Amino acid sequence: MKDLWFFLKLFKPHSGWLLGGIILSLLTAFAAIALLTLSGWFISASALAGLVVIDGNVLAFNFMLPAAQIRALAITRTLGRYGERLVTHDATFRVLAGIRSWFFQQLIPLVPGRLSVMRSGDLLSRMTADIDALDSLYLRLLAPAIVATIGVTAVTILLAFYAPVISLATGLMLVVASVVVPWIFNRLGRSGAEQIVVLAANFRVRQVDMMQGFADLLANQAYERFSHFLQQFSDLMLNTQQQNNRLSAISSTITFLLAQITVLMALVLGAILFKESLLSGTDLALVVFCVLAAFELVTPLPVALQMLAKLQKAAQRIRQVTEMSPTAPRHIQVEVLPERYDLQLNNVSFRYPDQQNWVLKNISLVIPQGSKIAIVGVSGSGKTTLLHLLMRYYDPDQGNVLMAEHNLKQLDADQLMTCFGVLSQSSQLFAASIKQNLLIAKPNALAIELDAAIQAAGLDKFISYLPEGLDTWVGESGVKVSGGEARRIALARLYLKNAPVLILDEPTEGLDSDTERDVFKALANFARDKTVIMVTHREAGLGLVDVVYSMEQGVLSKL
Amino acid sequence: MVMYFFNSSDKWQKPVQLSETDNQAYFDKNKAREKVCARWLKEQSKTVRKPITLAASVAIINGLGVTVQSAALAFLMQAIIIDKLPWASLMTPFLVLAGVFIVRSFCVYGHQVLGFEAGAKVRASIRQQLLAKFLTLGPAEIKQRQSGELSAIMLEQVDALENYFSRYLPQQIIVGVLPIIMIIVVMPINWVVGLIFLFTGPLVPIFMALVGMGAASANRSQFLAMARMSGYFLDRLQGLPTLKLFGQAAQELNTINQIAGGFREKTMAVLRIAFLSSAILEFFSAVAVALVAVYVGLGLLGQIHFGPAEQISFREALFVLLLAPEFFLPLRQLAINYHDRAAALGAADAILTILEKDADAPDTLSAGKSRLDKCSLIEFNTVSKFYAQRQVLTDINLCIAAGEKIALVGESGAGKTTLLNLLLGFEAATEGQIYLNGLPVNCEYAAKAIAWVGQNAYIFHGSIKENIALADPDASEQRIINAAQAAGVNEFSEQLSEGLLTQIGERGYGLSGGQVQRIALARAFLKNADIILLDEPTANLDATNKTALLAVIDQLFADKTLIIATHDPLVINRMARQITLRQGRLVL
Repeated sequence: MKDLWFFLKLFKPHSGWLLGGIILSLLTAFAAIALLTLSGWFISASALAGLVVIDGNVLAFNFMLPAAQIRALAITRTLGRYGERLVTHDATFRVLAGIRSWFFQQLIPLVPGRLSVMRSGDLLSRMTADIDALDSLYLRLLAPAIVATIGVTAVTILLAFYAPVISLATGLMLVVASVVVPWIFNRLGRSGAEQIVVLAANFRVRQVDMMQGFADLLANQAYERFSHFLQQFSDLMLNTQQQNNRLSAISSTITFLLAQITVLMALVLGAILFKESLLSGTDLALVVFCVLAAFELVTPLPVALQMLAKLQKAAQRIRQVTEMSPTAPRHIQVEVLPERYDLQLNNVSFRYPDQQNWVLKNISLVIPQGSKIAIVGVSGSGKTTLLHLLMRYYDPDQGNVLMAEHNLKQLDADQLMTCFGVLSQSSQLFAASIKQNLLIAKPNALAIELDAAIQAAGLDKFISYLPEGLDTWVGESGVKVSGGEARRIALARLYLKNAPVLILDEPTEGLDSDTERDVFKALANFARDKTVIMVTHREAGLGLVDVVYSMEQGVLSKL
Repeated sequence: MVMYFFNSSDKWQKPVQLSETDNQAYFDKNKAREKVCARWLKEQSKTVRKPITLAASVAIINGLGVTVQSAALAFLMQAIIIDKLPWASLMTPFLVLAGVFIVRSFCVYGHQVLGFEAGAKVRASIRQQLLAKFLTLGPAEIKQRQSGELSAIMLEQVDALENYFSRYLPQQIIVGVLPIIMIIVVMPINWVVGLIFLFTGPLVPIFMALVGMGAASANRSQFLAMARMSGYFLDRLQGLPTLKLFGQAAQELNTINQIAGGFREKTMAVLRIAFLSSAILEFFSAVAVALVAVYVGLGLLGQIHFGPAEQISFREALFVLLLAPEFFLPLRQLAINYHDRAAALGAADAILTILEKDADAPDTLSAGKSRLDKCSLIEFNTVSKFYAQRQVLTDINLCIAAGEKIALVGESGAGKTTLLNLLLGFEAATEGQIYLNGLPVNCEYAAKAIAWVGQNAYIFHGSIKENIALADPDASEQRIINAAQAAGVNEFSEQLSEGLLTQIGERGYGLSGGQVQRIALARAFLKNADIILLDEPTANLDATNKTALLAVIDQLFADKTLIIATHDPLVINRMARQITLRQGRLVL
């Protein structure tokens, strides 16, 4: 419930529209009830008046007024419902669109440290399906509940003027239908409604996993097994949906039955009152028709409450992510970035959250601005982790990391990032053109700058082969370019960003020796006045640096 | 700034964002397309005829119940108010009324449950069709699409078909039966009201079709927006660390905003049509009901003398008045469900783009002609491969005998990976033929004969052990441990608290590139295939590990056919034969 309240507050900027929506739907509901009530009264009054005429006594009966009222109500109901739907849906979807970007914004401080444990398919579910599920918070829950509360009260009061007994009975039945039945079905539906959210999210995780690892599945004859599993998941999902549907069918049946029983009751009670002359004939028709119409107020509630748990689960899943604390929390008082880029580690020890082993053990290292160092060591020795601490992806558990005597914790994380140019063993390419992928490094780069970067990275030959040149699409994760080409694109980005500190994490891994030589030649030229911190296990490239350290099981020593 | 480089109007923004007019043009120009989608939906419904008919029958019984109920109610009102009959003679109609209520509640339940069954069954079968289709399309084709988009199609768009089967199709049957029955019932009671029904009724479907005309394209547009949104979000979520590195994460919000806003607009476009059509039809039926009310009301007052107005009784008046809205209800319901149909058409379009896609991977069924005079284990016969205009492989002729040890070398971009993909049956050759053991290669067949370790091996959600045993999930504990040891997986897995049972994230989060590669190698060791294809197996390894790995490869694959794509001189020197590619051609 706390989670729902949180999201309800996000609706606040649109509260005017939403309130208007509620007023419009109240108006619509009253028009609908009045329409049927008045029609019933009109017909029976006409019939009785007609009888009187037949009896020979001329009775003045103004049939024009109620007939006009009926038409007015019909128009009000129609227009009211149309306007209400348009207004409330528009406001709701505006809120949802806002929540989507808010969600993305909340993720930014959580990468890469915190979110690495989450499946991206799962995150995607939270950002699309779970946020979509929030639409029912206002449309199916809040608005109908408010309308039902006011409507039921009004109908009960109205009926009390004509027949207190019928008013009491009807009010009681309406409360049962709007409170007791929804409460019961909320209880019964909870697990199924929650499950549907979780199952759909898991389905998406599995499927994204399958699609991204498609080639490995095929080559290992595992596709059949995986798709069979996914099919079972789909069946499970359909079964749960079916159970939910059965339950909601039962709840609609019960609400329907309650409505009918109430009508029957009103008719019997009305007949008794009529026979005792406590209720006139026309009023009897009015009362019965009013009861018949009043149940429209409560019909949406049982299903809405049955699926309330779905809403709660979705809200909870969204908040689960946005409430995570970043691995490198923001300092309250942020200092401006120092002018110099001298880096220093003082007795730094680190282990990953929830892990036993120390990855870095008591490391001290000074990297003055413009110096060039390399760290060598076997894979898994902690080299990359050290780089991540320098960029403040994580904070050390012991010791501290300084830039020009300022603790990294006191610097603005976004500003800190502008200091580093990174070339790593995996180069993330986006589903966009080569050009767009390059421009990430410098959105306002001029064509000349782009060309220079492409030349320097040795991309020119590759691009000249492509019929669409720079505009060639490199699909999801850049799958349509080879590993070497992806690295060159990353290298070109490095040039464009032109940051003062270069972080090179196995920069030539997977490249042929010619390309590797090219890359290092280009880097040597580019890095002349920059700080270089390179992690490698290859001989090549060590000529680029002045000092070489070795890392062994989290312990750093000078070579 | 970001607007500039991820501008949606940029023509290289591949998943094209169509405007509503574009969409309308799409469907106008391709009325045939809409028909194809409609036909396909009909086709799918064949297997669920029974529950659909049952759901419709139950609703028709419910409609008959309404007629009886209205009659009983009208009878009771007249008996109480006008005729002032004693309680005893009211008992029967009261019992009838109660009976009808019970029957109708069963119908309400049955209609909802039976309809759902039909939709669920079809959805399950379509998911199966999609999964089977992915297989025939092959990895090259799958990689062209964003995984987020594919997941939106499998989940949301398949789900969007539900109401077409569970509601629209049964409603179509209901509308064909129920209003006619009601007209037949009303005719002898009051033929004027009967005529009003007869002439206004058919107008409902006409209006429905008129207003709902743009509905299918609006829905298609919304589904495109949704798929695009999913694809885009997944891409950016996975690349968020990189965006952050370049200080672009905050700017990316603009684009996210824009896309989320676009999705909202498309959703509202769909809803506006639906709301408008239901408003018009509601208004329309309200006017018709008012017409009936005024006619019978004035008739009762003796103010109107047309038709049977003067003889009308209170009971009859009440009956037709109660029945009038019920007469329009199934028609209005059909108009609402007409939008379920539009939604289904939009979703069907997206689903069909996949199901109708021609496979680029070699067909698994058509075996082609086999070469009985097999000269070698693997044969490339004048093979060429184009990606659109770009030729990546030209005229490759190649024979590889069983047991050969081959280094495949060439600059990056020379076509090594494409050559391996062709051999694996992931893609079809544009020209020429590839034979494996004398048979034309296809993916299924290749997977049996070949163990492959790609450059970017994918680590699936699960434990290290499950990832190693990918090809053979029933492999014995010992075999998995042996494979892990041979590939050096144990070196790092032993440091983990749960060893080989440690859960690892997607794309091997938490693992270094070298560690991922070792797990992939362990997969190949476990698979025990005749042909081993390794794409850059020594990348990400330091000198010590590299020497150790090569020794293991020599030992484990001594009697296998081994092909290694590599840049590493150390590896090349160990191989007996060298095949060199330069700009897509073999260098002899």
